[in-house]
Amino acid sequence: MALKLEFTFDDKTYRRYMNGFVTVMHCHHYMSLLSKLAIDFDDIGGARILCESVEDSIRPMIDDYCAKNSIASFEDKLDVGRQYYSAMGMGVMKISGNPGQGEVTLTRSHVDQGWMKKWGQHTVPVNHWTRGYIAAMFAAAAGKPPRSYEIAETASMVMGQPTSVFTVKSR
Amino acid sequence: MTVQRDVVVKQLAEIQAQADEEGLIPAYNVLVNMLPVTFWNTFTKRMMDAVPAEKREKLEAELVNCALECGYNTGYGIITSDEFKSVVEPMITEGAKDVLRGAYAVFTAWGWAKSGIVQIKEGERMVVRAPDYYEADIASGYKSGFMIRGVSSAFFDLAYGKPYPDGLKTFVCVQTAGIEVGDPFGEFVVTR
Repeated sequence: MALKLEFTFDDKTYRRYMNGFVTVMHCHHYMSLLSKLAIDFDDIGGARILCESVEDSIRPMIDDYCAKNSIASFEDKLDVGRQYYSAMGMGVMKISGNPGQGEVTLTRSHVDQGWMKKWGQHTVPVNHWTRGYIAAMFAAAAGKPPRSYEIAETASMVMGQPTSVFTVKSR
Repeated sequence: MTVQRDVVVKQLAEIQAQADEEGLIPAYNVLVNMLPVTFWNTFTKRMMDAVPAEKREKLEAELVNCALECGYNTGYGIITSDEFKSVVEPMITEGAKDVLRGAYAVFTAWGWAKSGIVQIKEGERMVVRAPDYYEADIASGYKSGFMIRGVSSAFFDLAYGKPYPDGLKTFVCVQTAGIEVGDPFGEFVVTR
C-alpha cells in the first residue's frame, strides 16, 4: 500500500510538517559533517548516540502512521518504514526478514552518496544514521522496545561497493 | 521594492520537495533530506550531555562548523538556483543586502527558523532575530542555536567575503539571546 503523505506549512510559526511531525530540510553537507562529527567523537559514543537519536525520533512516526491506518502485520509495518525512508530523501531500501533477524540493502543512499559527493570514498562504513533507522523500523514492526535490534553494516557504498548491506539481529 | 520575506516564504513553501524514484531529493545543487527536527535536536542534546567539560568548546565549534559548511555550499546553490531567480530576484533592488534577505526567506521556508535581518552594516556586521527556531526546542538551558550561528556567518561570507568558494570563514557569528534560555527571541550577531 502506498504511503499517504501530507505536507503542511504553519503560517504562524513557519514550521513544516510531514504527516503531523515537525520536519526540517537539510542538505548532504550537513548530514555528512554531522556523521563525521559523530565518528570523530566516538570516545564519547558519538556513533552510538547518532544511531539511538535516529531510532528514538523515527519510531514515533512509524508507530503513529501504522496506528492511524490500522496497519498491523510485521511485513506491512516494515513497508511503511521502507517508504518513509524514501519520502525523507534518504534513498531506496530492499528489506527481507522476520522479527528475529533480517537484511536490508540500500541501492540508493543519501548518506553514502552525499559523503562521496563531498569527500569521495572512505575506508570504513559511515552510515550510522541508517543503522538507527533500521533498528527503529524493525522494533516498530515487531512491537518491541527500543534497542531490541543490533544492526551491522556489512557492505558499504562509501567503500566502493555497489550497494550497502545491513544485517539485523534481535538482541 | 525590497525583498518581502513573508511573500517569498509563502511562495517557496508551496514548492514541495518530493523525493524522486531513487528516494533522493536533488535540489539547489545538493541532495536534500527532510527529517523530523526531533532527530537533529536529540543528537545535539545527547552529544552535549555526553561531552566532558574540557571538550565542550570543541564540540560546540564543530556543531557550528557543520552548519557553516552546509550554509555556505547550499546557500550558494540557493542564490544561484532557478527558484531563487524566479521568486526572489524580481524583488532585489538593494544588491547584496537583498540577496541576504532572500537567503533568509529561503532559510525560513526550509523550516530552520522564522528569522529575519534586523540590522545590517554592509560587509561589517549583521543582526538576525528569530522568534521561532527549531533548535529552541532543545530546551537545553544554554544557548543552543549552533545551526543558525553557522548558517548566518555562511550567508554573510557569501554576500561579503571573497567570491565562492574562497570566502568561507571570513565572518563569525555569536548567539546573544535565545528562547531556550528564557529570552523572547533568538538573536545572532555576525561580525568580521
